[in-house]
Amino acid sequence: MSTGQAAPKPVHQHMRRNPPIAGEAEAIQAAQGGDARAFETLYALHKRRVYSLCLRMLGNVAEAEDLTQEAFLQLYRKIATFRGDSAFSTWLHRLAVNVVLMHLRKKGLPQVSLEETLEPSQEDGPRKDIGARDLMLSGSIDRVTLERAVENLPPGYRLVFVLHDVEGYEHNEIADMLACSIGNSKSQLHKARMKLRDLLRTGERKEPAV
Amino acid sequence: MTTTRSDRKTMTCAEFQDRLPELFESHADLSAEEHLKTCENCAALVRDLEYIAQQAKLLLPIHDPSPAVWDKIENAIQTEGSGQERAEANRPPVRA
Repeated sequence: MSTGQAAPKPVHQHMRRNPPIAGEAEAIQAAQGGDARAFETLYALHKRRVYSLCLRMLGNVAEAEDLTQEAFLQLYRKIATFRGDSAFSTWLHRLAVNVVLMHLRKKGLPQVSLEETLEPSQEDGPRKDIGARDLMLSGSIDRVTLERAVENLPPGYRLVFVLHDVEGYEHNEIADMLACSIGNSKSQLHKARMKLRDLLRTGERKEPAV
Repeated sequence: MTTTRSDRKTMTCAEFQDRLPELFESHADLSAEEHLKTCENCAALVRDLEYIAQQAKLLLPIHDPSPAVWDKIENAIQTEGSGQERAEANRPPVRA
């Protein structure tokens, strides 16, 4: 059972995931000087990461493309302010997260506007498994299945899950980004994982027998 | 109020599950939880939630935006650039 060992807390996981990229430093410097080709290089290096983030947070291709565009336009306007205090990809990533959150707030989606509305309805919430005989997840959930389940999470849950478990942000960072309490971020993450478990188990039961 | 070891022993599933977010965040050794030693249901739940968190870390960025996205960015940059140039050209000369 994997509960035997407490896992060490990943420290700034998103930074560990952002190793230096060959040619990036030169491209940044050149782009800061107004070199359009260098900016295109930066786009090529980071478009997948930024777009995947937008898509996972929004669950909508058209919106994800629009916001990828917006994130890179903001990058173009702000790149001169990048001082290298953090990895460039970390900085760009945070910029993209802010673009998505700003968009969601403008749309007035309740899931990100107020603390209490980070709580989806009770029906969306996890259920207690009291008295139920649970089947454990098979341990062989593939990436596509998990991606699909994440897409089907309620938006409030999805945001916190993507930011914490996929992107590696800490609860204090998420609380800061979503303007909610750290406790709320923790609670939302737990509910998101519970909901995912539900979705994955339902999916497993629906799988046709081979 | 602190929970004593004997309290934990008699914990119900609902009580244990209420404490789960806190337990996960504390990175405590959950196998030491008395409730899990006797409750297969909650043990399976804990294993599943740990599994989901582990798998999530493996979700790599795999999606690419369509080429149209760069075209739009390039156009917008050119428009902004020419706007800035016009603004600079129209700026009145600074008197010495």
